[in-house]
Amino acid sequence: MDTSRYAELFRTESAELLAELDDALLAIEADGNATEVAAAFRSTHTIKGMAGAMGYAQVERIAHAMESLLAELRDGRSMDADVVAVLFDSSTALREAVNREAASLKAVDPAVTDGVPSFELAAVTALSAGIGAGALLLTGDVSVDALPRRRADDSLRTVRIDLRRLDALLDLVSELAIARDRLLRVTEAVAEHGAHRPLTRAAQDTARLVSALQEQVLQARMVPVGHVFDRFPRLVRDIAHALGKEVHFTLEGREIELDRSLLDAIGDPIVHLLRNALDHGLEHAVTRLAAGKTAAGRLVLRAVRDRASVIIQVEDDGQGIDRRAILRRAIADGFVAPGITYLDDDLLLEVIAHAGFSTAAAVTSISGRGVGVDVVATRVRALAGSLSLRTAESAGTVFTLRLPLSLATMRALLVQVGDEIYVFPAANVVEALEYHPGTIRPGAGLTASLLVRDAWLPVVQMRTHFGADAGVVSAESFAVVVECGGRKSAVLVDALIGQQDIVVKRFDAPRAGEGWFNGATVLGDGRPALIVDLGSLC
Amino acid sequence: MNRTVLICDDALFMRMMVSDILTQAGFDVVGQAGTGVQAVEQYRQLRPDLVTMDIVMPDMGGIDAVREITRHDPSARILMCSAMGQQALVVEAIQAGAKDFVVKPFQASRVLEAVNRVLAA
Repeated sequence: MDTSRYAELFRTESAELLAELDDALLAIEADGNATEVAAAFRSTHTIKGMAGAMGYAQVERIAHAMESLLAELRDGRSMDADVVAVLFDSSTALREAVNREAASLKAVDPAVTDGVPSFELAAVTALSAGIGAGALLLTGDVSVDALPRRRADDSLRTVRIDLRRLDALLDLVSELAIARDRLLRVTEAVAEHGAHRPLTRAAQDTARLVSALQEQVLQARMVPVGHVFDRFPRLVRDIAHALGKEVHFTLEGREIELDRSLLDAIGDPIVHLLRNALDHGLEHAVTRLAAGKTAAGRLVLRAVRDRASVIIQVEDDGQGIDRRAILRRAIADGFVAPGITYLDDDLLLEVIAHAGFSTAAAVTSISGRGVGVDVVATRVRALAGSLSLRTAESAGTVFTLRLPLSLATMRALLVQVGDEIYVFPAANVVEALEYHPGTIRPGAGLTASLLVRDAWLPVVQMRTHFGADAGVVSAESFAVVVECGGRKSAVLVDALIGQQDIVVKRFDAPRAGEGWFNGATVLGDGRPALIVDLGSLC
Repeated sequence: MNRTVLICDDALFMRMMVSDILTQAGFDVVGQAGTGVQAVEQYRQLRPDLVTMDIVMPDMGGIDAVREITRHDPSARILMCSAMGQQALVVEAIQAGAKDFVVKPFQASRVLEAVNRVLAA
């Protein structure tokens, strides 16, 4: 039988099964739960069957060895830390074997793999043979067949679609939405010269249907964050083990939904933050106990829906970030002025998120010293999101990512500067005011400030900031107050055009330049406009 | 008229594979079930000529599903699909009312042989 066309299905389904297996193993490790043994057995068993059908002999053999061990546990074999370790090791070996086969994306002749000595298999069988009697005895009525499975009910109502097709669909429907806006504008203009009711009604119906279609396409792209988050418990466990630390890891809000491409893009940044928390935030058990804390550190990964955003937090109850050490280093490296004596949370984040901030040996002892935080900050900003930080000495650290629900469309404020129209993401706009030149308090460059509701805000003149029309007499008459990562600025523009939903076309801001823009859009009249990265103005 | 089949397996992968084999041989795959409970429900609704049944499934396993189906319809024709090393369970399934079995990994010819045996019986 030609198995090659099943290879993709094998890959996706075995990935789900491996994730379920890890869930079950983590639960087994936590409390030796007997039902989880049966769940682990079932995942392993199904992988074995699928691998057999594909002719993936090595996967089949590892799964078979693991299944035998799980069957023994199910039938009352005692369990101890050694057994759990063997199970985790074999699950890793199984995943690697699956990945190897999936990478080749074709069925392997069993006769060939049979002859290959398998290190992993040897490890599994040797260890499982030598497992001694443990402290924990599994009891209870374990039935393989009587267990719920989290995706079983959904599996028949869902269909797998290549993400690229969804991307293409989204592109098309986004273009359609722009055409819709144009159509509405034209029919309105026509209506002014004597209404043509059937035409107007047809245009309105079309517009309504396009909006509904757009909504559906966006919905189709939404997936629960659990799709990415579910692999983290295993990751956290492995990192903590490697570091010799104890951690109690909790996932909250795994059912919260995000656009698939956004979710994929934030996976790595979250791993960075989790790794940082484990490595630099959480203390070793001895230190924690001495400080009156629990031996196991607490690490929480949380997703919360907040209006049109999703908030993702990585929270630990570790030692917090050492502001003074960071400040000393930042002054030494020239990142902050020598006059500054205290780094508040925002400044601290700004320093550790600075790409050039030193990660040299001198600061390795400092918790959360910024390894990868610049990567996280850059990625989050590129996704039109924001990153913030809260930390307290000996109490812990919280990193908060605020992300839009979807990358495709965004509520925006359109402003005019000279002949150009620019786009401000509405999520970052606090208010827009008429302004009078007399209210500006002068200063050098960014330090000019404007009094807005009893607060002096730094002023950014779009005209001069972007280096355009420096000689032209300023026609700026509006100040747009924008906020990013808790900091506000007043951005001076010529005119406010209005608010509208725009379709975002992402591009990578030229790295060498001053990343002022992080995307573009096509306006209703077909003209392109740049989306201003407000993070670069705050 | 083509013979109708209900395919029961918790792995979408396996359902696709069996479905392809049977469809190519001219069967109508009228339903797919991912759990024992779904298998029983769909059998009642669809009354297929043949059922292929996996043994290890969530909610209700294949053997219990066989029992449940044959309790309502003793003439149900069910083919068990088992993995290697489940001989004892296969015997139990036959006692529960299954007519025959095939062992994974499937070869199209073996599956069709078994299917025809079951339908001829």
